[in-house]
Amino acid sequence: MSFQPENVLFDKGVIRRIYEFRVRLAFGLPPTPQQVEASRAFAHLSTFASRMCITQQTANILQRRPARFAAAILNDTQTLNKGRYLRRWARRLRGFAFSPEDAVMIAYGSFGVDVHLQKAGIDAVVTNDLKLAANFHTRYLEIDGRFAEMVQNLSDPHRALKLPRIITVAEVLTGV
Amino acid sequence: MERLIVDADGKVVIPPEVIHKRGLRPGDELTLVETTGGLFVYPNTIDPKTLEWWNSLTEEERKLAQAEAREYESLSEEERDAIWNEYAESLEVEAEGDEIELPTGERSV
Repeated sequence: MSFQPENVLFDKGVIRRIYEFRVRLAFGLPPTPQQVEASRAFAHLSTFASRMCITQQTANILQRRPARFAAAILNDTQTLNKGRYLRRWARRLRGFAFSPEDAVMIAYGSFGVDVHLQKAGIDAVVTNDLKLAANFHTRYLEIDGRFAEMVQNLSDPHRALKLPRIITVAEVLTGV
Repeated sequence: MERLIVDADGKVVIPPEVIHKRGLRPGDELTLVETTGGLFVYPNTIDPKTLEWWNSLTEEERKLAQAEAREYESLSEEERDAIWNEYAESLEVEAEGDEIELPTGERSV
């Protein structure tokens, strides 16, 4: 792909499909096309991304699932923590017709903190939700303006934060 | 279901109707996966990460994984959705207490 993000955040839906592919494999069932697509995107990004991240919610869910399926996914990813103002930004994103869950995930893209690396934000959120991606792209200028307005009024480390790109698993695989 | 015969060299022939139905062409790669339920042939759908995970499991672990997979597959779609909707984040101001300060002196990506 022309855009090669170094730091990516997988939305919960993508991780669910990767998990369910492995479940179906163990059970002897063929995977669905969506599961194949999600797993391929994950494998492809792992070849060049230096950090593959998940949200705390996704990590909590995986930690409650059987380790035989979940441990490898947890080992391949880092869990981002919620940085200050993440929810405030998520609430503002709700004004752009994102669901609460989608708003939180996009907010993680800017305010999610990797406590080990002491870094906030990622380059791209990878999703299988076409509606979410389309809404983000359509309203990008408005969202970007609102984001800039918010961070300008915050203290120094927050002013350098950026919006993530939102890319679909299909875009990861087709190189768009 | 197709019955295939393994020849002396370990080769099997995929029936032409299956080749046609699956759109397979000469040179296409297939992935053979050994599971506790038998051998499965996938038309190159298994990515390296999934294969690496599967190959890391011992025979015993695969049997246990199959039992766990059966349990998951027996759940309804609603039950699976419920699993994946647990731990939803609250957007309320009152929930902000668990947010951590951003690192200082380090530019974000």
